[in-house]
Amino acid sequence: MDNRAEVPYGTLDLMVLKTLDTLSPSHGYGIARRIEQVAQGSLELNQGTIYPALLRLEQRGWISSKWGVSENNRRARFYSITASGRRQLTAEAENWSRTVAIVNRLLEGES
Amino acid sequence: MTGPRVLFSRLRGLFGGTQRLDEEIAGHLEMLASEYERAGLPPHEARLRARREFGGVAQIREAYRDQRGLPFFDTLSQDLRYAFRQLRRTPGFAAAAVFTLALGVGANAAIYQVLDAVVFRTLPVRQPEQLVIANLTGNGKSVPFSYPVYREMAARQQVADGMFAASNAPLRQAILRTQGSVETVNAELVSGNYFDVLGVCARRGRCFTDADDRAAAPVAVISHAFWQRHFSGAPALGATLDINRAPVTIIGIMPAGFFGESAGSAPDVWLPMSMQPRVLPTDWLDAPYYSWLEVTARLKPGVTSNQTSSALTALYRQLPDLGSPDFHVELQPANQVLAELNAKTAHPLFILIGITAAVLLITCCNVANLLLGRATARTHEIGIRLALGAGRGRIIRHLLTESGLLCALGTVAAGALASWGSRALVKVEGWQLTLHPSWRVPGFIAAIAVLATLLFGLAPALAATRFDLLPALRSNRRSLGGGSPRQVFGKLLIVIQIAASLLLLTGAALLGRTLWNLQHQDFGFTRDNLLRVDLPVEFGPGMVARSNAQRPRLQERLQSLPGVRSVAISSCGPLSTWQRTGWVSTPERPFQKTDYVRYTYVAPGYFETLGIRTLAGRTFHPGDRAETPPVIVLSETAARTLFGRTNPVGRLVSFAKTFRAKDAAQVAGVVHDVRYSPRDPYALQIYFPFTQSTSPMTEAVIRTAQNPSALANTVRAAVHDMDSTLAVGDIASVQAQIDSGLVRERMLALLTACFGLLALVLTTVGVYGVIAYSVERRTQEIGIHLALGARRPQVAAMLLRELGVLVPVSLGIGLAATLAVSRLLGTLLYGVAPRDLTTLALSACLLAAVALIAAWLPARRASHLDPMNALRQE
Repeated sequence: MDNRAEVPYGTLDLMVLKTLDTLSPSHGYGIARRIEQVAQGSLELNQGTIYPALLRLEQRGWISSKWGVSENNRRARFYSITASGRRQLTAEAENWSRTVAIVNRLLEGES
Repeated sequence: MTGPRVLFSRLRGLFGGTQRLDEEIAGHLEMLASEYERAGLPPHEARLRARREFGGVAQIREAYRDQRGLPFFDTLSQDLRYAFRQLRRTPGFAAAAVFTLALGVGANAAIYQVLDAVVFRTLPVRQPEQLVIANLTGNGKSVPFSYPVYREMAARQQVADGMFAASNAPLRQAILRTQGSVETVNAELVSGNYFDVLGVCARRGRCFTDADDRAAAPVAVISHAFWQRHFSGAPALGATLDINRAPVTIIGIMPAGFFGESAGSAPDVWLPMSMQPRVLPTDWLDAPYYSWLEVTARLKPGVTSNQTSSALTALYRQLPDLGSPDFHVELQPANQVLAELNAKTAHPLFILIGITAAVLLITCCNVANLLLGRATARTHEIGIRLALGAGRGRIIRHLLTESGLLCALGTVAAGALASWGSRALVKVEGWQLTLHPSWRVPGFIAAIAVLATLLFGLAPALAATRFDLLPALRSNRRSLGGGSPRQVFGKLLIVIQIAASLLLLTGAALLGRTLWNLQHQDFGFTRDNLLRVDLPVEFGPGMVARSNAQRPRLQERLQSLPGVRSVAISSCGPLSTWQRTGWVSTPERPFQKTDYVRYTYVAPGYFETLGIRTLAGRTFHPGDRAETPPVIVLSETAARTLFGRTNPVGRLVSFAKTFRAKDAAQVAGVVHDVRYSPRDPYALQIYFPFTQSTSPMTEAVIRTAQNPSALANTVRAAVHDMDSTLAVGDIASVQAQIDSGLVRERMLALLTACFGLLALVLTTVGVYGVIAYSVERRTQEIGIHLALGARRPQVAAMLLRELGVLVPVSLGIGLAATLAVSRLLGTLLYGVAPRDLTTLALSACLLAAVALIAAWLPARRASHLDPMNALRQE
């Protein structure tokens, strides 16, 4: 049985933002690969799901996009993080750490 | 901050396809596949692997689309398409629902459209809401202003943006002479600042100014309608009009939309106040105690009506020699309807609004019942959709979309009905109104439509989706328990419908009886074959002498016409615009405030012509001359009021507040009571012979052999032929004039009768539906009863028992509601009390009978079921 984790609900946006924070600009495929590389195979990501996420982030103004040419000479959409996206990332990251810390403390207490 | 941006981007996303996503996905897959190829997979396998890794393209696209557009609109269009299909499949239901809604919403919108025109846009002047009418009020009475009081107050006041005086009453039928012809015009005397304060300008020429107030200015401003009628639109400035024998020069023509400062009358000609002594017999400009002027003021912005009236009251009380501490200045909005609303009188328009609101309620209940029945029929379908995972909210939304669609269709039909209905209403009421389309009317219709959708759509939708899935899916819609929410809801609808119908039926019956009473009451004279010739009074010096000279000749001339049986000439007689009221007293009984006394002056033959019966003594005869002792004739009620049971003939009566022997007259006889108009308030009637009075004649009444209207032209020609200086007004049969005075009553009675009938029909349909549904639900049970030997009447009775509770309960509620609101009809009723028990009982019986018949039909059908078939039926 596969012991890879599914993407926890609501964290995909955070992952995409973080990826774009380090690797801007980047196309959808690049972002998906990067997330998988970092997770080192422990994450089950349906790569397609990042496209609705990208759209959502773009609608909120946290990332921007424009057409460009990919490394294999194909037309591809390149996404970059915006200033408000960076602010959002900081806030979200803090939020996430806090949540993780709380859950950890709870789990430690249980055991 | 991100909210609007998301919305905007989503709205943009509503249009356009998914090319961008498709291209991105294609690129993504290609890159992924080429990576697998590099890792050593064959191209075909690499592509497959890439697809797997990427996930379902269709799902991604769906999620993307949800994110990009507004899912609400997507579902809406989906629901709308579905609703359309559903309605097309059941055209009978759709037609019934749309028709019912069109009537309910249309009736409301028609009434509202008129109200909108009346309340929001009456006066064709600058900022009409600032205009207020001033009255001098004291001792519970309101009196108009005299000219000196107005003049002083207008000159001294600083609280208002101007105040003007106007009077229409004395010259409503002024005599206009042109070569060879005499006609009447509606003229109004106004102060010089009238047009200025109203804020209107002449379309051609100029309006009056303050200068026209100072010396008698023989000028006139005419209305657009008069210009068209009299001059056929030809140049009229500088032309001369001869009004009441005073020549005036036309200096201005008003624009077409201007009809004066009140919606009630539309003057043809405006004359400056300074012309008053020239066109009327007495000079009222220097008469401080002659009150005849209506004063209108324009409020200053930011100053309230109350502040203005206190300031004006203070000013009035300080006026040297004129003011009186007993009176204060009261202000009311110049807008007629607002004023009537303030006066808390029953205005027919507001009654109509109440009626149409009740109709709307019944309409909504009926459509709700239709929808409920339909939802029941679709239990199985809804059950499947719920089982397939559709949320309850989604199904409710879908059902609401369907009601919304019905509502929209009904509203379109209602719009057409409303525009026709409001025009008809204005025509019937005879208002000087123009109905312009305004955003308020469609806004109102939309508001009602939304309300109706919620009222009749939401509740059935809630009821239809609240049930256990399993029985519904067993496709056995008869297994639902009797206490299911939709059953209760259906019954509630019936109760509301019956109660509201009772209200409407009672209202219709009361107004119908009012109309009947007004038309069929005893007028005291025979109305058929009676022609009334209006003889406008030509005010001016010598009018009485002229009238006295013309009267015998006129009577003789008319008498000689073929087809004329007899002729009566009178002053302030039947249907006259003029009513002479006064005091009456005897040595034993001074005048009392509750005595409504009217004087009528008559020529010989009056009582015989009208067919007024003599009850005691005699009527007038040629022996009653100016030099003989004065005599009068009393009406029955007057005689009884003044003399009780004693014989009045030969007794003395005077016409002062307390008896004065020196101007007393002797009672010659007593005649039957008369009513000059359907709602005639004057009970005490006193007749004087023309020969002993100083009143000009105001009408001739002719008893004809055949159809009176046919004689009108002959009469007019004969009068002109006899004396071309004698003005003749309207000539019409007395019956027609009485009827035209009842237009409003007839319209109200007709409308309420129509609405009552509509309510009855809708209620019948509603009751029928509920019982038919109950029969359908209990078919198996009925089959068992029949199979076990129950007799058919027993089965029918069992089914009717449900109604046995429902009808009395609803009638009780309706009765309570009727008793509570019927007194609002108050002054509109005549000869019947607002809480007339017979009317109430009859309406209730009618409703109960109709409900019983409506229920009997399905119940009877059920009792004739073949038990075997009924049992076999699922």
